[in-house]
Amino acid sequence: MRRGRGSDALWFWVFVGPFAAGLALFTYVPLLWSVGLSFFDAHNTVTPTHFVGLDNYTAMLRDDAFLSSLRTFLVFTAFIVPVTYVCSLALALMVNRVGRARAFFRSVFFLPAACSYVVAAMVWKMSLFNGVRFGLANTVLGWFGAEPVAWLSTTDPPWYWLVIVTVRLWLQAGFYMILFLAGLQRIDPVLYEAAAVDGARPGWTVLRHITLPQLRATSVAVLLLLVVNAFQAFDEFYNLLSDARGYPPYARPPLVYLYYTALGQGQNLGLGSAGAVILALVVALVTVGQARWLRLGRTDADG
Amino acid sequence: MDDALVRAGRALRLVLLVALALLFLIPFYLLVRNGLATEQDITSPDWTFVPRELRWGNVRELFADPSVPFARSLLNSALIAVATTLGTLLLASLAGYGLARIPYRHATKVFYGVLGTLLVPAAVTFVPSFVLVSSLGWISTLRGLIVPTLFSAFACFVFRQYFLGFPRELEDAARVDGLGHWRTYWLVVVPNARPVFAAVGTIVFLGAWNSFLWPLVIGQDRNAWTVQVALSSFTTSQVIRLHELFVAAAVSILPLLLVFLCFQRWIVAGVERSGID
Amino acid sequence: MTISRRALLAAGAGTGLLTACGSNTGRGSGGSEPELSQWYHQYGETGTEQAVQRYARAYRKARVEVQWRPGNYDQQTAAALLTDSGPDVFEGGPTLDQIQGGQVADLTHLLDGVQDDFNPAVLQPKTYDGKVWGIPQVIDTQFLYYRKSLLADAGVRPPTTLDALVDAARQLTGKKTKGLFLGNDGGAGVLGGTPLYAAGLEIITQDGEVGFDDPAAARTLGKLHRLYADKSLLLGAPADWSDPSAFLQGLTAMQWSGLWALPQVRKELGDDFGVLPFPKDGAHGRPAVPVGAYGAAVSARSERRADAEDFVKWLWVERTDYQEDFALSYGFHIPARISLARKAGKLTSGAAADAVRFTTDHGHTAQPLLWTPASQTAYQDALSRIIKDGASPENELRSVVRKVTAELDRVKKNSQKNTKKKP
Repeated sequence: MRRGRGSDALWFWVFVGPFAAGLALFTYVPLLWSVGLSFFDAHNTVTPTHFVGLDNYTAMLRDDAFLSSLRTFLVFTAFIVPVTYVCSLALALMVNRVGRARAFFRSVFFLPAACSYVVAAMVWKMSLFNGVRFGLANTVLGWFGAEPVAWLSTTDPPWYWLVIVTVRLWLQAGFYMILFLAGLQRIDPVLYEAAAVDGARPGWTVLRHITLPQLRATSVAVLLLLVVNAFQAFDEFYNLLSDARGYPPYARPPLVYLYYTALGQGQNLGLGSAGAVILALVVALVTVGQARWLRLGRTDADG
Repeated sequence: MDDALVRAGRALRLVLLVALALLFLIPFYLLVRNGLATEQDITSPDWTFVPRELRWGNVRELFADPSVPFARSLLNSALIAVATTLGTLLLASLAGYGLARIPYRHATKVFYGVLGTLLVPAAVTFVPSFVLVSSLGWISTLRGLIVPTLFSAFACFVFRQYFLGFPRELEDAARVDGLGHWRTYWLVVVPNARPVFAAVGTIVFLGAWNSFLWPLVIGQDRNAWTVQVALSSFTTSQVIRLHELFVAAAVSILPLLLVFLCFQRWIVAGVERSGID
Repeated sequence: MTISRRALLAAGAGTGLLTACGSNTGRGSGGSEPELSQWYHQYGETGTEQAVQRYARAYRKARVEVQWRPGNYDQQTAAALLTDSGPDVFEGGPTLDQIQGGQVADLTHLLDGVQDDFNPAVLQPKTYDGKVWGIPQVIDTQFLYYRKSLLADAGVRPPTTLDALVDAARQLTGKKTKGLFLGNDGGAGVLGGTPLYAAGLEIITQDGEVGFDDPAAARTLGKLHRLYADKSLLLGAPADWSDPSAFLQGLTAMQWSGLWALPQVRKELGDDFGVLPFPKDGAHGRPAVPVGAYGAAVSARSERRADAEDFVKWLWVERTDYQEDFALSYGFHIPARISLARKAGKLTSGAAADAVRFTTDHGHTAQPLLWTPASQTAYQDALSRIIKDGASPENELRSVVRKVTAELDRVKKNSQKNTKKKP
């Protein structure tokens, strides 16, 4: 139009500039700094002088505890992603078909999203899944004559996964339910009518052949968000399992392990940064791979 | 026959929903039950659904506790959450609009630069961020708690996606009227994008209110504590005062529940129309 | 947008800003007195915070601002010491890496003439290279608290060997009460090296070598698994080992906890309790009492380092009245000063007197300076796996010994580097 390219570029930076500058300062500078630290022997300093090349990386990749934290993450993701996905979808399907009380149920399931991990972890640890007899779960067990279970301290069977997964499920299921509800609203009712005319019984068949394919876009978004969030998991693990003396060797995801390596009293910032870089690469790889895979599936279905 | 089956199915669904709703409400119930009970009641081996002695005095005790400035921490959290929300909305929406709508050669590259940061966990860059903020002299200040968190790649991403799907006709009409990018944005785009602002705003507000690790390290002075830091101070390494802990937690989520219930309609509408998916 | 301009300036300056000569933090301007910030971790005993505030107010030569830090104190100080906005004076190890990294000031001269009055058990872990890097504030010790009446009812005598402890815990475990509470993690965290001392070993020897590369170590640690496997351990209590609540609420018949809890236990249980050291194990065993202390340290980055040192000297060397108040008026701690400990009336009778006697006879340093956090984590992880998973103590210890040896080599190399650097 009247305006030339140059003026558009100027306006672009007027709009994007402040944000980009802030992001550069508060995300990219620390990020590059971390990468830099990973090549140094940086005990208790952020301006190290002793260059060690790739030593921190080889040490981290040989560290059993770090490798087991990656395994922990995989187990956690394998639990939390499908469980949250199925639960939030099921909630959405049920809530969507309720008549008058719909807003009420939506609110109830969505409400936990307002709680912090600190509060939720506290309720879970101190009251709901408390290991002694006055915990609610143990009280219920007691009604059936069962012994109290030390939920967070028992490694065999690993009950702590139940506690960790249910906290996150409670906090997040409602949010993803809202996403699914929005997706369900967008499905053209004509599709269901057509299915009814074709004699499809409401229920499983309709769900499989109409609802789920129509929700594919939402599903992709939900799965991506779930996996990214699972990678970032820190708060509930930390608040549930850490104590004044540290953190147990089980259920220790990578971020918690790195937090103790870099920020704990050991303050091995070089080693911690190397672990962080490795982790960020893994996250990027998985996310990009997953996005590719899901998008491919989508084009297949679409046509 | 079929009708009866459908009705039975509906009843079953309702029963299941009610049961699930009760399950979801249990943690809230526990907060209130334990928050209003005495220490002895909480730790009693004989469970009671309502505390034997309802102690509203716990709330007063909480605000009177000299070792934890709880009222001040609520105020700090409110200030931080409001400022973070407004700042993030302004910065991210401008950036999202610019990325989506202003033609520029390197726009895609900039967008990927923004998107890439979503993959990097915050804890990874935690120490350098902390040292950076400290070298700006922002420790224990509100700006240290607010400014570094204003640049949310997530919010920017959501705004960009939303504006990509924004009807071009409105902007074209504005252009015909002779409005530039700036005035088009403020006079046409923003008023028509309220749902996405409400949705992102609520999510950012919740995140700011609930954030823990950053305020814990930056808010060193007691007067800069947020409510989450104050909460964590009740679980000290040596003594845990259960009733105070629970009443504090209950009080800390009250403002949020209010915000949440008021804005819920907006969030849902925002999610439905903003293309978060 | 003033923010982004300032931010950009800072980004431009790059790492230059981040070195010690960075911008002024803006603290302490105005007024002729220097202002010092002093950090404490959050003590659980009521009154402690008011007490340290009172001491700080009484100091005339500087305004001292006390910060009471909840949450993970050690992590917070470690991070804050990297910056100019950290504390001037803080309680902390300090750790070997902090000393070697030059993060804390040499405080040897503050102890001129009184060094011998500080209990060597707590002064020695603050000493490195012949210099003192932290002034011990008190002596913290831990004991096995037991409920006399519950033991008598079960016909169990106070255990003096580890085997007896295992048996006693099993016999005392009933429907409503567990036999023993070693912390919610099953003991891996709080016990640390104590069982090794009880087996007649050490975690680090006098010569700075691994002290538990010995079959006796595996045998003793293996017995801790029996406590767990017998279901005699209380796990998942709302308050951890440092708080006597579980013991007082009758959730457990015996609990490992700090001496600090003693006044509260006595208030609630009267005479119905006793304390014991960690019982010995094996032919070369001996009872063990872990001894530790926070030391008052001065940050090397402090802009008012001399003032900070003066203040530390005033409070933790000269004001013996405050030291006594701090040690004995809230929770119980043994004063770090031998002369004060001798005078401490509150520690001369009943269980408190036993505790002092056990500490004198059987005390060992819980955290030698060379026992770095990395070594401790490796050991604690292994101990947790031994206790809870029944992992083979031999295998676990073998890998711990390897890691600790590597860690000891690292810090010894650093110390050589440091000596070379010095003129």
